[in-house]
Amino acid sequence: MAIFKPTSESTNCPKQDTGRRSFIRKAGVAASAALASAAAGIAGTGRDRHPAKTDEARQLANRIGILEDAEAVRGLCRQHAGYLDRGRYEEAVGLFADDGAAVYNGGLYAGREQGVRRLYCGAFGRGRTGKSMEPAPGFGFDPADHPETVEVASDRTTAVCRFPYSMRAGAPMVSDSSLVALARLQGEGIRQWWEGGIQEVSCVKTGGAWKIGRVEYRLLARADYRPGRTSAEAIDVPPCARTFPADPSGPDTLV
Amino acid sequence: MNEPMHRYKYTKLTKAEVDGKLRATASGPKCASKLSDALAGKSLKIVTDDGPVLSYTFKSGTKLALSEDGKAAVDASYGALGLEQLIFFSHMIPNSSKGYNVYLDTETNLATVFEVWFSGGKDSQGQALDDREVQRQIYFGYVAGPSGTTPPEKRHHTTNRIEGKGMYWKQDTGIETLEFYASIISTNFVELTRHADDLSYCSPSDYVLVNDNMFLYDRTECEFSGIMTMYAVDLFTQTQVGMRLGFNEKDELEYYMFRGTGKMVGHLTSLAPFDEHGLVVNLGMGPAPKGKPAAAAPAAAPKGQRTAYRPARSFTNMTEEQVHQAAEKNTTTFTGDPNSPQQQAGMMGGNTLPYSDLLVGKKFTLRYDYEGPVYEYQVTDIYNLQWRKEGETAWRKETYRAFEADEKLVFFAHMLGGSRPKASVKIALDLLSGLTTCIHSKMGTKYYGNEVSYRAFFGVAEMEGLEAPQYVRHEFTDELVGRGFTRTYSDSMTSMHLYTTPHSSAWTIYTSNQTLGMQWCAPALYVKLRDGVYIFDLVEEACNGAETCIIENDKTMRASGFGFSGGARGVTLGVIGAIARDLGQYDVKEYFGPKVKGRGV
Repeated sequence: MAIFKPTSESTNCPKQDTGRRSFIRKAGVAASAALASAAAGIAGTGRDRHPAKTDEARQLANRIGILEDAEAVRGLCRQHAGYLDRGRYEEAVGLFADDGAAVYNGGLYAGREQGVRRLYCGAFGRGRTGKSMEPAPGFGFDPADHPETVEVASDRTTAVCRFPYSMRAGAPMVSDSSLVALARLQGEGIRQWWEGGIQEVSCVKTGGAWKIGRVEYRLLARADYRPGRTSAEAIDVPPCARTFPADPSGPDTLV
Repeated sequence: MNEPMHRYKYTKLTKAEVDGKLRATASGPKCASKLSDALAGKSLKIVTDDGPVLSYTFKSGTKLALSEDGKAAVDASYGALGLEQLIFFSHMIPNSSKGYNVYLDTETNLATVFEVWFSGGKDSQGQALDDREVQRQIYFGYVAGPSGTTPPEKRHHTTNRIEGKGMYWKQDTGIETLEFYASIISTNFVELTRHADDLSYCSPSDYVLVNDNMFLYDRTECEFSGIMTMYAVDLFTQTQVGMRLGFNEKDELEYYMFRGTGKMVGHLTSLAPFDEHGLVVNLGMGPAPKGKPAAAAPAAAPKGQRTAYRPARSFTNMTEEQVHQAAEKNTTTFTGDPNSPQQQAGMMGGNTLPYSDLLVGKKFTLRYDYEGPVYEYQVTDIYNLQWRKEGETAWRKETYRAFEADEKLVFFAHMLGGSRPKASVKIALDLLSGLTTCIHSKMGTKYYGNEVSYRAFFGVAEMEGLEAPQYVRHEFTDELVGRGFTRTYSDSMTSMHLYTTPHSSAWTIYTSNQTLGMQWCAPALYVKLRDGVYIFDLVEEACNGAETCIIENDKTMRASGFGFSGGARGVTLGVIGAIARDLGQYDVKEYFGPKVKGRGV
């Protein structure tokens, strides 16, 4: 599967269709339309008062519940993406279940207050990772090829949302150079790049509210790119090599 | 003063000592020029945004009474100087360690207030502050008019419009300086009369725009004496009025006002976006509050906050033995995949030139003048060579890297195996003229075991096919003095080299929008190899002790060379490469050299 496939032209992907947030927003609109349709069906059933229709009513009610759950899950994912986009890592962590987990760059970060916080408030915060950005030129993709999907389990206690992501990622420069020391003083000294892929968010309903059980960033491409540049080159970023606590912001497990 | 400021051991004055010395400010600032009595007999109420309301009654040309925020008035001595429509007055508050410096704009009724004080504690980066260091907070405001008058909406404001300007100044005290306003938060300055050497230094600074031809400025010599210099400038007439407050290297209080006349010595090109006006300075404000956007400035920065680089405080002094032991464990010379310069040099080597094979298979001797070294070479391949000192029989094998910095001009480097302290050579070898320059560097100075010391040797090559001259040599040069270049080492790191004097240089970091921000400086040497081709060699003295030795080519705008450093992690010799842009030049050569200093020439 190659969502982010290098192309010869950088204009394949119109800006308004490339952002993670805009993608979720469009999907949300579609869900609302489906909800409205289902609600209209129930209204008709009520007026008929026909016993044979009772099961259908239950099914429709369940269907509405699932659609509502799907919309809630989309909202949760949208909120999660929004917090990362704005660098609000603490709030992003707060969306996870107690035993939530995140998988990023070859590492599994387990536990909301342990691994996930370490990843988001530690590694992501220092690298300012998570800001939504357009795909790097030549790494465009067509969202229609990979539409967002939300699967709500029939018991409505779990759900999985998958959608393409396109974000800025980074890591602090590791150097004894005074250049880096000076850059750090002015809030920089971070090597940044673009990366995109599929984000799979597994959600659990806890106490009637949806929480993130697990986020997995399935990387498809990385490029040395910042907005405004006219070209980009694919780059390699070494995957996690050490676990916590040997690496203070490292994962609990290498995956 | 002939001890460089970065080497000088300033006294750690205690708060009690500072307070005691500040008692002398009760009589007001001294001034070589006649002070202004423009304020005598007047009363002013200055309202500042997010700051104090200052109610002044000027009893005479030297005495005032001040009420802060409606509190009881205190008497103080002051001095005032006028510059065009500005009236600048300065005073300390008796029995305190603080004072005010106020710029009144009589055309607009705007006022900008610099509160100054002495304090220790820690700065926003957690670094300890000396009690002798002058702190400051700037308040923008206005002079309140009669009751019912609408306050002005505009304010003086911070600016990036001064970024890149450079000026020569001569105060009425006879003090002469060169001041390069190369950054929006810092200054490079050269003390032409206070110091014996032509070295530049950097200090945190503020720039405030009054109008299109006038600005306000201050700098505090953090990391050095902590003394502050502030002034207003009229660019039309190239004149200034200002104030200096603090303790000099002799721990003497300096509190005086001055007039000065200047000269614009040039402008360096700003690379900031054209729609960036520098109204907000948002650099180095520390980490964002928890849960807030990382890129956003905190709502209210702590009073007096400024971003200051204080490298000497964090630089660990290692002994020669400690460095030697670390080097024995780990001496890194061009490691990694030899075909992958990026991997070898990381951030500083993303833009290295390809390695040159010009020396492969050659045998030659490099003979340096005045009892300098004589090295014999046999170059095996593009990465390996053998060398020995003249007279030795055994060859030493070393890995090396070479760049073709100009046509048939090779710049190569290698470690000197077996040396203690660890040493390396960076050699420019002109295969057309036979001239050569060797930068011989070794770990250790009289100050730090982990600081590189370096020396340039000039000489000739003895090689088949070459006829080197008998007398002509490469030579030290001032041709680069005043010039500024970008150095893009990789897509993640660009800085500016500003060649401030014949013996020093500054490096400045660009912010994400290519405004110039943090900077530092150090002594350096410059060697001319050919027209437009130079060696620049700098050691970050009292900073991290590392050496940057590059050849820069004015034609290709490329810089290539080597970095040499050592510390707890061992000793490293690596490659450096950068793409450059020419930012312009300050016309300042006339201010340097023995003739200017009158040192018997």
